[in-house]
Amino acid sequence: MKAPTKQYQILFVDDDPDFLAMIQDFFATLGEQIWQIHCVTSADQALEFLKVRKIDLVVTDVNMPMLDGIQFLHILGRSHPDLKKAVITANATEEKRSACLAEGAELFIEKPRSPEGLKSIFVMLEELISWTPQEGFQGMLRRVGLPDVIQMECLGRNSSILEIHNLQLRGRVYIEDGRIIHAQAGEKEGEAAFYQLLALPSGEFQLQPFESPPKCTIEGQWEFLLMEAARMRDEMAAEASATGTTAEPAAVVESPVATPEAWSQVEETLICSGQGEPLYVWECPDRKARVALLQTVAQQAETLSQLIPLGNFDRLEILLATGRAVAQARADRMVFVRVSSGGEKSTARSS
Amino acid sequence: MSHSTQASFAPGTTVPGLLGCGLRLPDATCVSYSFSEMCPRKRLEDILEQLAETMTLLAGHGLAPRRLTWTFAQGQIFLISRADGALLALATQPSTEAAENVDQLAGEFFSLTPAN
Repeated sequence: MKAPTKQYQILFVDDDPDFLAMIQDFFATLGEQIWQIHCVTSADQALEFLKVRKIDLVVTDVNMPMLDGIQFLHILGRSHPDLKKAVITANATEEKRSACLAEGAELFIEKPRSPEGLKSIFVMLEELISWTPQEGFQGMLRRVGLPDVIQMECLGRNSSILEIHNLQLRGRVYIEDGRIIHAQAGEKEGEAAFYQLLALPSGEFQLQPFESPPKCTIEGQWEFLLMEAARMRDEMAAEASATGTTAEPAAVVESPVATPEAWSQVEETLICSGQGEPLYVWECPDRKARVALLQTVAQQAETLSQLIPLGNFDRLEILLATGRAVAQARADRMVFVRVSSGGEKSTARSS
Repeated sequence: MSHSTQASFAPGTTVPGLLGCGLRLPDATCVSYSFSEMCPRKRLEDILEQLAETMTLLAGHGLAPRRLTWTFAQGQIFLISRADGALLALATQPSTEAAENVDQLAGEFFSLTPAN
């Protein structure tokens, strides 16, 4: 028995009734029984229609009275974020194309002038409507920090594979139940691979469904791994900037910065909600005091950003005689991690 | 300040990306330099006062900082403490010469003779 074919609901929005009539005739024929075509002559009619019918694809004109296509796309982006959207216009300028794509249109097509043109559009729309997003998501490292994605996966105790690549390198990070268990980058494996991937200045990543890795090469806590990756990235940047500089300053001797090899042990970790409710506590000597500290850091960051407009607060790094601590205070969560340098114990734990 | 530090911080010879800097001496007197309209001297001194309180607060939590780095989306504020209690604050834009040479600026600060 043949499985029933899915019927796609497509809504065309155009103030030109002749164009809509042509679309109705031509596409209904090409789409056979698979396309069910609906036509309206204004954006407000379309919004009303969307309230009562589930639509798979909206195809809109740009130049329409009252509410134009770009504004319509903007509204759709908020009211129906998952709806596929395409634009067909007689006035296809680069400016309008950019505006429509920025408002979430997947296709921007010039109105056809021949039956062949209509057929091409049909093929493009059919490709768009039958396209199903793969599981997972993708993004650019330049816009979304890779550490943020890893942190999100770990805090959510998720299992996933993060595939990362740019022109020079390709690799994977395996996260199982919120723990980083394996990484591979080129020929490297384990923490070395993880740090190499996290040091990429830009690239692309995809979050894929979890599969067991060929082996487990990482055992450390994700908080420490991310901190270490951040430290190594900072060092690389500092080394790059130091190239070509003159003699080392006298401060090197007195500088509080410990040698890179020295950072070796996480002393305490606290992760709590934005309201201060502990979500994860490890070796924290006084969680109430630490929560209070994080709340104070958040308040002080707010005051500082009022004094100098430097944008959103990211973190406070506290360099200690025997290690360092990082405090992050965001609306949804707060994090405090303290790391000691090798062979030395910070006094904070016993205080 | 030493001549070299003054040279680094003095207006007209600024380090690219350095928005402003301030020095708070142990007796709570402040010296500040502004290199950007977004970072006027009065605000630098307010920042120094606030961060001095932060140092005390952190010490109360068993964390005696040698340096604080407040990282924001569009810049950083560094606070470096000296053994005699003097504090140096630097406000920088990200990925600039100033931000990447904080160690050097701090080094000059550490090499200064503490005030008597």
